[in-house]
Amino acid sequence: MATNSFLYTRRRITNVLALGMSMLATVIGLIFLAWILWETLRQGISALQPKLFTKITAYGEDGGLLNAMVGSLLVNTIGILIATPIGVLAGTWLAEYAKGTKLGESIRFLNDILLSAPSIVLGLFVYTIVVLPTTALTGGSTTFSGWAGGVALALIALPVIVRTSDEMLRLVPSTLREAALSLGIPQWKLTTQILIRAARSGIITGVLLALARISGETAPLLFTAFGNNYLTFNPSDKMSSLPQVIYQYANDPGEAMHAIAWAGAFVLTMFVLLLSLSSRLVLSRNKVSHD
Amino acid sequence: MTESAAAGIHPQSAASPAPIAPTKLKVRDLHFYYNGFHALKGINMDIPEKKVTAIIGPSGCGKSTLLRIFNRIYAIYPKLEAKGEIVLDGENILDTSYSMNRLRSKVGMVFQKPVPFPMTIFENVAYGIRHHEKLSRADMDIRVEQALRSAALWDEVKDKLKQSALGLSGGQQQRLCIARGIALKPEVLLLDEPTSALDPIATGRIEQLVEELKSQYTIVIVTHNMQQAARCSDLTAFMYLGELIEFDRTEQIFTKPGKKQTEDYITGRFG
Amino acid sequence: MQANVGAVASTVVQEARAHRDARHDRVFGWVLKGCALLVLACLLGAAGATLWGGRHAFGTFGWHFLVSDAWDPSTDTYGALVPVYGTIVTSVIALLIAVPVSFGIALYLSEVAPPWLRTPVASAIELLAGIPSIIYGMWGLFIFAPFFADHIKPWLTNYLGDKPDDGKLSWVAQHVPFVGKLFGSEYPFGASVLTAGIVLAVMIIPFISSVMREVFQTVPSRLKESAYALGSSTWEVSWDIVLPYTRSAVIGGIFLGLGRALGETMAVTFVLGNAMKLSPSILDPGASIASTIANQFSEAAGLQKSTLMALAFLLFVVTFFVLLIARWMLRQMAHKEGR
Repeated sequence: MATNSFLYTRRRITNVLALGMSMLATVIGLIFLAWILWETLRQGISALQPKLFTKITAYGEDGGLLNAMVGSLLVNTIGILIATPIGVLAGTWLAEYAKGTKLGESIRFLNDILLSAPSIVLGLFVYTIVVLPTTALTGGSTTFSGWAGGVALALIALPVIVRTSDEMLRLVPSTLREAALSLGIPQWKLTTQILIRAARSGIITGVLLALARISGETAPLLFTAFGNNYLTFNPSDKMSSLPQVIYQYANDPGEAMHAIAWAGAFVLTMFVLLLSLSSRLVLSRNKVSHD
Repeated sequence: MTESAAAGIHPQSAASPAPIAPTKLKVRDLHFYYNGFHALKGINMDIPEKKVTAIIGPSGCGKSTLLRIFNRIYAIYPKLEAKGEIVLDGENILDTSYSMNRLRSKVGMVFQKPVPFPMTIFENVAYGIRHHEKLSRADMDIRVEQALRSAALWDEVKDKLKQSALGLSGGQQQRLCIARGIALKPEVLLLDEPTSALDPIATGRIEQLVEELKSQYTIVIVTHNMQQAARCSDLTAFMYLGELIEFDRTEQIFTKPGKKQTEDYITGRFG
Repeated sequence: MQANVGAVASTVVQEARAHRDARHDRVFGWVLKGCALLVLACLLGAAGATLWGGRHAFGTFGWHFLVSDAWDPSTDTYGALVPVYGTIVTSVIALLIAVPVSFGIALYLSEVAPPWLRTPVASAIELLAGIPSIIYGMWGLFIFAPFFADHIKPWLTNYLGDKPDDGKLSWVAQHVPFVGKLFGSEYPFGASVLTAGIVLAVMIIPFISSVMREVFQTVPSRLKESAYALGSSTWEVSWDIVLPYTRSAVIGGIFLGLGRALGETMAVTFVLGNAMKLSPSILDPGASIASTIANQFSEAAGLQKSTLMALAFLLFVVTFFVLLIARWMLRQMAHKEGR
């Protein structure tokens, strides 16, 4: 029996070691993530000042982030306004019309790929299809614009919205479809007035998640909205955005600029975390209401 | 019935009882397939007008499938196929030229689980009407009230018509679904195990409602609850493995069934 | 029969309505399908636009483009090797770190941790997966890179590198081939290929561990229970039952993380150093495709711009296939579950 007890001991030691390592991995992972969050909070809060919200970036060290925040809001809004209708309709097609078809399956698959495609490439795509043609129209001066930035962000938001709409609509019980069709309601009315309404909270979650995702995007804006120093509400103009100013200021050698960048990073992080939290809340609150 | 004899198909499985009322739905040699599976095998039956016809049988016998052919709701899924005839007022509803809109305004359906639409109580009833008829506001109010009254729900909801239907209890939701169905003034009302998700009190109210509604509608009810069939139907059909075994007056089926299988099922000797 | 007249009239109305409904349904279906096809158009468009933009570079340098490490704007000669190499090496480093750590986290959260701890920690990690990558980049630039330069890099160059500060070669550098080159560096800065790899790893850990945890939870409990009933330890159940059962999805999750790492711009641009020079050492600065584009595109023109587009095309094609594999592997798992 000596071999047996040796075997048991070895197995027990392996078990304890392995589980200990997994716990260690969790602790290490959490330490790094807490470190990042902590630094953002610490550096960000200490750099928070009222002027960040009232002054524009043209004043540099003495300025704020007003135009970047306004720009971010505008460009994000354009992105979401473009992506939401298209995304919801495409998701509806996948869930309601393309059940079991080859084309539907492939588009669902490719949408998942678009979901994690490199955003900088999507930025270059929009540069090619929006910025270059408008440049040609205006006769040579490069026309970066808030519109172009919005389109780029829409491309990033689109797959998120398509996916959640598709998933949420597929969760709607089929009895609801049968009930409406048995009243003679046509498919398009059933879809727009009943199904999308029934999946509303899930779809809203998707839109909020998409908004969270695009508000932190920097790379696709570099060659589309480009950024500027003054306050503008006109999306046909070049437009600044929060992540982009953070990028620019972090690359600047000045310490004061770094502080502003941290404050911007803090505002951005809080905004994104708030959005993800509220999207979870919307979903969990409404999950119970059906069935 | 003379027609079934004239059609000359399965005289004994077309065992329609002696006529107690004119025939509303005439089913002839109905076969149904899904994904190649032969789910209904030559059903023949005559469903009388303004009576309650119950369809009973063990689960998987095809009773719900049969019901779902009466308004062609099965057609929304791919790979399902019905062959044969179902004649409603002289026209074959399985004919592709038969308008789906017309069929569904003539044949209403209530499902197992209550499925209120995600809108207000008033809208739930008005929604279907609006699609088929253009009514003034006042007329619509009257129609909705009528439907809710017929479904014995009016008194409970008249003060909260603008509230979401999702807030109602299960039994109320099911009566709302019945109101929604009869608001279209159908001629036939199909009930697919309408009380299986409800408690005994709510079940009692629905059964009472069925009793009241049969003066105006031809009602076909599928149920797994034999007492329910005995309590509220005039005729009962027993199905087994996709075949109609016996179809007769309810008291006949429950007191002196003609077939061994029916008796076994009624007396609970069946799995 | 006076009702008959009304019935006929209403039938006519109904037929008209049925026709209208059918037409509306058709148009509606087309609109929906058009929106869905836009997804396809985006993917094809992104590939097409970058290929078209990069046509001059591909045409000028040909196949040589892929293996050339030249990057000289003054003579307008460019090669893809440096950024491609940087992209691959940073991503590989990130995976080498992130995969075991993520596996540990997923294992801990699904099999080991007390139940009250699982949901909060898992939600926290999922929230962190949503933090913008530029925040990871800033942390890398201002916090981690200096820390790395002060505490980690000297240690690595002294004990593993072939150019130590004190001039004495360590045993490892003398006896194990390549290690000396890998860890040798004369730059005192924190920005390096290894730094970028670590920052990328930290960024994709929440992502990979969330996917892994999710798939671990899909393992039927009867399967695990039967193994426990045979006297298996938690580790044995995880390694012999859970991991084989979820293998394809775990690989899918890893590839999904790889896709992220390959295409990431902001988390690496700050800490990679942007040196367009090939170096065998992971402690030297380098460049990745995304960081090169981010840094040079706005000021580039002509052939340089075309080269950057060509690089974007390469990146897009590579990530496309990586993600294709990832999604395919994850789908295998979903099918298994459905059965």
